[in-house]
Amino acid sequence: MKRIKSIALAACMLTAGAISAVGLSACSTADYTVGILQLVEHSALDAATEGFRDALQARMDAAGKTVKFDYQNAQNETAACSTIANKFARGYDLILANATPALQACANSTTSVPILGTSVTLYSSALGLKDFDDNDPAATTGINVSGTSDLAPLADQAQMILDLFPEAEKVGLLYCTAESNSDYQVAQVAEYLAEKGVASERYSFTDSNDISAVAMRAASESDVIYIPTDNTAASNSALIDGICRPAGVPVIAGEEGICSGCGVATLSISYYNLGVKTGGMAADILLDGKKVSEMPVQKITKEECSYLYNAEICEDLGITPPQGYKAIGE
Amino acid sequence: MCEKRPMLELKGVGKTFNRGSVNEKVALKDFDLTVEEGEFLTVIGGNGAGKSTFMNVVCGTYPVDEGKIFLGGHDVTRLPEYRRAKYLGRVFQDPMMGTSPDMEIQENLALAYRRGKVRSLMPGIRKAEKEFFRTQLARLGLGLEERMTVKAGLLSGGQRQSLTLLMATLKKPDLLLLDEHTAALDPKTAAKVLAFTEEIAAENKLTTVMVTHNMADAIRCGNRLIMMQEGRIIYDVSGEEKKSLTVEDLLERFRASAGELSDRMILS
Amino acid sequence: MGFLSALPGAIALGLIWGLMAIGVYITYKVLDFADLTVDGSICTGGAVCAVLVTAGVNVWVAMLAALLAGAAAGLLTGVFHTLMGIPAILSGILTQLILWSVNLKIMGQANLSVSARTYGVVISQLEAGWAILILFGFVSVIIGLLYWFFGTELGCGIRATGNNPNMSRAQGINVGLNKIIGLMISNALVALAGALLVQYQGFADINMGRGAIVIGLAAVIIGEALVNLICRNFAVRLAGVALGGIIYYIVYQLVIELGMDTDLLKMLSALVVAIFLAIPYWKKRYFSGFHRKKAAKEPPAPPPEGGETAAQEPPAAAPLQGGQSDV
Repeated sequence: MKRIKSIALAACMLTAGAISAVGLSACSTADYTVGILQLVEHSALDAATEGFRDALQARMDAAGKTVKFDYQNAQNETAACSTIANKFARGYDLILANATPALQACANSTTSVPILGTSVTLYSSALGLKDFDDNDPAATTGINVSGTSDLAPLADQAQMILDLFPEAEKVGLLYCTAESNSDYQVAQVAEYLAEKGVASERYSFTDSNDISAVAMRAASESDVIYIPTDNTAASNSALIDGICRPAGVPVIAGEEGICSGCGVATLSISYYNLGVKTGGMAADILLDGKKVSEMPVQKITKEECSYLYNAEICEDLGITPPQGYKAIGE
Repeated sequence: MCEKRPMLELKGVGKTFNRGSVNEKVALKDFDLTVEEGEFLTVIGGNGAGKSTFMNVVCGTYPVDEGKIFLGGHDVTRLPEYRRAKYLGRVFQDPMMGTSPDMEIQENLALAYRRGKVRSLMPGIRKAEKEFFRTQLARLGLGLEERMTVKAGLLSGGQRQSLTLLMATLKKPDLLLLDEHTAALDPKTAAKVLAFTEEIAAENKLTTVMVTHNMADAIRCGNRLIMMQEGRIIYDVSGEEKKSLTVEDLLERFRASAGELSDRMILS
Repeated sequence: MGFLSALPGAIALGLIWGLMAIGVYITYKVLDFADLTVDGSICTGGAVCAVLVTAGVNVWVAMLAALLAGAAAGLLTGVFHTLMGIPAILSGILTQLILWSVNLKIMGQANLSVSARTYGVVISQLEAGWAILILFGFVSVIIGLLYWFFGTELGCGIRATGNNPNMSRAQGINVGLNKIIGLMISNALVALAGALLVQYQGFADINMGRGAIVIGLAAVIIGEALVNLICRNFAVRLAGVALGGIIYYIVYQLVIELGMDTDLLKMLSALVVAIFLAIPYWKKRYFSGFHRKKAAKEPPAPPPEGGETAAQEPPAAAPLQGGQSDV
């Protein structure tokens, strides 16, 4: 009997909590309902979501329509993505899937609701599409998925290393193997460097506990370190800075967040702008009736990126910020 | 007298705990003992006399430091506990220890019935066995034969000790080891369990070693008695001489050896 | 209404995690071994299955391989514990760490797509109803196999090992070996659940095992609490565990449908687990207190009729049913 009571108690607690929460999310009669599934709270992903909302809201306002956003965060539990996607797959007008596992879960939950991905690097591998060419700007998935890719202009970033440090003989590539897309970025940069006759070596760690040991070795063996767009590196940029700066080894980062933590300079895409771009696509689908399967996956071009430098680290290392670079935060 | 073979032999067994530390304790010292087939040996001794260590080295709970142990003629000195189980039936002091509480009475018996055999993917309990278990349980006179699918954890301490005793002897062991198996029971229950012990040992002519705190029991049961102190045997009596023993005699022995001990301690 | 249409998806996911929870049940309840290997082995199963399926191997072969990989993970934990004398929880954590690296090496990357649109998988969230049927078949067959196995001589020995290792050794049971076998079976099932999960959600990810043990324990505990009232048959209890997984995911789906703050989800599930874990402990305290009071009121009577009935009722008999709270 006690057990029944306890179960009932626990169930009541859950329902009570749920009902009090539902009270806060007011019932809506919006023209469109958009589900946003974000993998984890993270400055880059947050910026993309924000850009998406702002852009879509603006287009909706202009068209005199209303939109309701249902934002769900999977707390980095990939298993939670499926449950959230299961909700969005029914009765929603559009889904924004922010980060690779979020997109995968959504794409595996519905073949009818249009899905837009963002903060996804390679759509071919994320969706298992063998015929999709990530480097073709006009490539469409052919299924109910499109979106934007956060693939950085890697060749330009690699060239940046050569421009800023012409006498560098060896570039250390520091990244996390447990990140979806770091391996690809590092391979591309290494290839570019090799073409230009500069040696590079990979220094990979598997989680945040290994970072300091790996970073120390990278710092002692390299003239310059390159870090791609890598979430684990981003979360631990202060740790990396604490190793590389005293060693006097400059870091070129794949994006602004890492650069502000431990980098000297970056050619960074803006996740907010990436979100804005995705929001525009969403408006095209909802308001203009465009078909998601026929919309090419969009990328950020070099022109949309900004050359940035970290003033504090540059000064410490005695590096003069190059022409045309903006200090981060200005 | 006909030739009897030794079922348990300990030759020069030594066991010291915490060797080399301030807590060093010599539990068994150059310990020799031979128990013949069919003998019922009772073991008494004060706390720290080495009774438990003696039992545990026979079972294989502790490895010995030196010496050899033979069970039914096999050298088991290096065998792990579970492999010696083939030769041993054991009943523990703690009624909780001898049975598997979440398993049915008949499942416990079936486990015991397979002691010393390789456990295969054949059914854990067979229909024919159930009948056999039922008749065996009926001998306990506790009505357990009607409750064969009840979990052993629901039995009382006395019931569990009786069940454990049955489990220990279901397959005739070379040696039955009883480690103060009635100490945790109330006197009436203890007497019952002890009576059943004697009955089952006599019936199957089991070679038995029973450690006990109760001197009257030690005198009354069995045909040989040893008294232990300081990891050695200080008194070994059997046959007619044992039958005529009284508790007073044993207490006298205790005092004498204790006195001898303290004399020695003073002299050294 | 939206919730009802989302039910099939929740039930399918619940069945997958229910299968995983059956694996947890074997270690946690049968073997009395708090095994944390599962956070790693679920991903190992998923990774092996994903790699083989994307390489064009038949999906059933891939699932079999995942099963074996999980068994190997269990073997490792078992060896750490029995041959190297490392405490149970630490053994599991060590294997979990090893598996993080192993899983990365298996996949060669952190994330691998096994989209149902490209590969011939058995189940997918795209067809949740169909998935439920297949998963129901899986769970039924596995419960049947486990019911048979734990009734064999070997299986009984494993149950005894978890229940009373002292008695088991005295009955000639190789406790260490049995623990290893139990861990292998458990992790094989967990890995199979991982292989099914990967197909269902359409991708394998290095992080997919995160928090798996909590979901598994939640399912075990909810299931035990429900089914113990009705029936104590082993197969029914296993079915109860699968049901626990389904209930967990229906509640989870409900929480998400209602738009509750997902930031709180982890805390909520952990709290629910904590409450259910506390029930046997509270029960024990309540009951033993009750007994003491009652005993104090009555005069110290001589042993009741029949000698060995109520007099020696061991105090630990009751909590053994409810699960040890030493985790």
